[in-house]
Amino acid sequence: MSASLEKGINALKEQVDSTVAAFFSSCTHCGMCADACLFYTETDEAKRMPINKAEPLRRIWKSEYTLLGRVGKMFGLTAKVDDALLTEWETLVYDSCTLCGRCSMVCPVGNDIALLIRKTREGMAAAGHAPEGLIGATTRAVTIGSPMGVKLPALMAQIGHVEKDTGMKIPVDVEGAEYMLLLSSMEIMNFPEFIEAAAKIFDKAGVSWTISTEAFEATNSGIQIGVSDIAAELVQRIVDAAEKLKVKTVISPECGHAYMAIRWEGPNLVGKPFSFKVRHILEVLDEFRQDGRLKITGKEEQRLTYHDPCQISRRGGVIDQPRNLIKMFSDDFVEMPDTGKMNWCCGAGGGVSSNERADEIRLKVFQRKKDQLDEIKPDAIVSACSNCRIHLEDGLEEYHMDIPLLSLTETLAEHLAD
Amino acid sequence: MSEIEFLDWVRGQGFQIAVIIFVAGVIIRFAEILLLGRKTNLAEAKGSEMGGGLRTIVTRSVPDKSTFKRSTFIVVAGYIFHIGLFVTIFLFAPHILMFKEVIGFGWPSLPTPVVDAMAVVSIIALLAILVHRMRDNVLRFISTTEDYLVWMLTILPLITGYIAFHRIGMTAPTLLAIHILSVELLLVVFPFTKLMHAFTLVMARWYNGAISGYRGVES
Amino acid sequence: MSQITNDAEFKQALQDLDATQQRLVAAKFIEHVLSLSDDNRINRAVKAAADESASDGEISDALKSARAAIMDSSTRCGAEGNWTDQAGYFVARAAVAALTPQAQSKSGSPAWQAALSCRMAQTSIEIDSASTDMPGHSENEWQYDVLAKHLDA
Repeated sequence: MSASLEKGINALKEQVDSTVAAFFSSCTHCGMCADACLFYTETDEAKRMPINKAEPLRRIWKSEYTLLGRVGKMFGLTAKVDDALLTEWETLVYDSCTLCGRCSMVCPVGNDIALLIRKTREGMAAAGHAPEGLIGATTRAVTIGSPMGVKLPALMAQIGHVEKDTGMKIPVDVEGAEYMLLLSSMEIMNFPEFIEAAAKIFDKAGVSWTISTEAFEATNSGIQIGVSDIAAELVQRIVDAAEKLKVKTVISPECGHAYMAIRWEGPNLVGKPFSFKVRHILEVLDEFRQDGRLKITGKEEQRLTYHDPCQISRRGGVIDQPRNLIKMFSDDFVEMPDTGKMNWCCGAGGGVSSNERADEIRLKVFQRKKDQLDEIKPDAIVSACSNCRIHLEDGLEEYHMDIPLLSLTETLAEHLAD
Repeated sequence: MSEIEFLDWVRGQGFQIAVIIFVAGVIIRFAEILLLGRKTNLAEAKGSEMGGGLRTIVTRSVPDKSTFKRSTFIVVAGYIFHIGLFVTIFLFAPHILMFKEVIGFGWPSLPTPVVDAMAVVSIIALLAILVHRMRDNVLRFISTTEDYLVWMLTILPLITGYIAFHRIGMTAPTLLAIHILSVELLLVVFPFTKLMHAFTLVMARWYNGAISGYRGVES
Repeated sequence: MSQITNDAEFKQALQDLDATQQRLVAAKFIEHVLSLSDDNRINRAVKAAADESASDGEISDALKSARAAIMDSSTRCGAEGNWTDQAGYFVARAAVAALTPQAQSKSGSPAWQAALSCRMAQTSIEIDSASTDMPGHSENEWQYDVLAKHLDA
């Protein structure tokens, strides 16, 4: 066994706990998870069905943690995990899965299949079977502080730009601020208006906030590639900055997996509860709404719908807040068929969009979202994840559909009363 | 060995062996799962784990509308034979008598014609499920020898039971012995297969609901 | 001679223009940063935007083309970002803003959106050139002058 494969197998072993054992013990091969997964429904390729993606983990569980499996292993009867298997599984575990979790909502015996696939990635990555794009992103995240190579001067330039445009001062490294805003590289590079929108809202809401120059990156490539050690290191940077600035709440911006990483996996990765709260920007904005801190003027004339970013809605628990906020500036809001926690994934999260090899399939599975949109025919789509946004735009362009994407935060900011 | 001796053995020693292996096997499988444990969640909770877990144990039995539309056959056929199994095993007068002997108490039964009809419906459902498993591209891909073996072991008691009750073919004692043997076969193999889902699904659903409930999502 | 010295006046003046005028002014803003994009589709899109007599069909074709240019120039999540390339992305965004019908435009002002994207294009280039100038400083003032001249014409 090569050193890498051994590391992969050990990583998989470490991932097996009572939840994994309960899930694999219960799977009856009923196939319902396939019907819930857009990577199967839009490709008709059986191998892309959810529980199949976790096969490497299942083999380790069976052969190491069950009596029957261990006995079978002694006689060479249990299915093995080797490089050939992991190579074959690369395009299933990384290219054909966004960890959206729809399968986990549907499995009749209750298996959290997305969790199993997330755990499988730990083994894949440790054995050297992660996609190139993700490896690059993760390396940049660790060495530069941003998976896209965004350095502090670039952020400061964007901040300077916002200050010039709005006349507001963006508070940087302010100790004792209530909120510390994180930003995803996607936003800094592709949607820097988000910074301006957030600044305006905080200003009008009258709250103290800041951005830390030592930890401004929200994206956690470690989670996407499936290397918990790296994910932990990236989280620790945020923890250190938040503690140094003594902020009460860290805000995760409009990025799906960033929220999952810092809000739900964060403390478990670093091994300690946080001394501060973590909230998604939508949760914070909704709190402002409840406290009466947001004065909104004018309505969006267009017919709006909301695309639920999977890590924020279904896997994150922030489902009602975006709707409360949208209703502040819209009287013409329509839900997608299959909405809220059962909404369909855009197809690009969890590292899929970082992976050039997955471009074709990513655009193919967009068909599911297209079908949803064809049913309700909205004028515009509101969402709260930069990655969903770019991919939806990509997909809409590919299928010649003319439906603009709106960021919820940016749209809300536009309707702030003076 | 005469018919009666065969039946006696099946009812006596055979039954004991089967039950011991079944009980021991189930306990071992449970231990294998629970002893692994899981780490405490250190993130700030948004909802209750226990509440979420208990809730999902119940609600996962009811698929949402869209899921039901996409997976109609699996859900309907699955429910038919599961309910059928429950009725034929636990609400059939002769079986309840058997339980009374073993555990000390019984309970009301359903009229025999009803149970009989449910057995037939379940057998048909299981046959349809086999055909589906062999023809559907996802199921063909994912199915293993175990799936087909378990299918066989599940339908055999239903078929042999029906035949035994209606005294078709051989003499009553032999038919009965074969039926009981088929059940013992099922019991013996049960703990080593996916049939364990009958017990472990409570854990799996609980974990699912707990994980989601912690995050404030009802799953 | 109109005097525009700050963003509030700038934004108001733009919003007071009708749809066609906004498109023409936006085209002027974009022409100033056009060199930051090497995508021919943007050149053609800006020509259409600057053409006062362009038909609805020509505008919508140019818009489609500019949208495709955005998708090709945006940086994928996790990819190594290049601010010089991003400048081209923002120029494409400006072109789309200029050609988007007013009703669909954010805050109902295509020219304002185009102006913002042009400034971001300039900021992007300055990030790469490690210039110590205030980012977008000269671009804002240049845009005020262009608008003022346009209003006088």
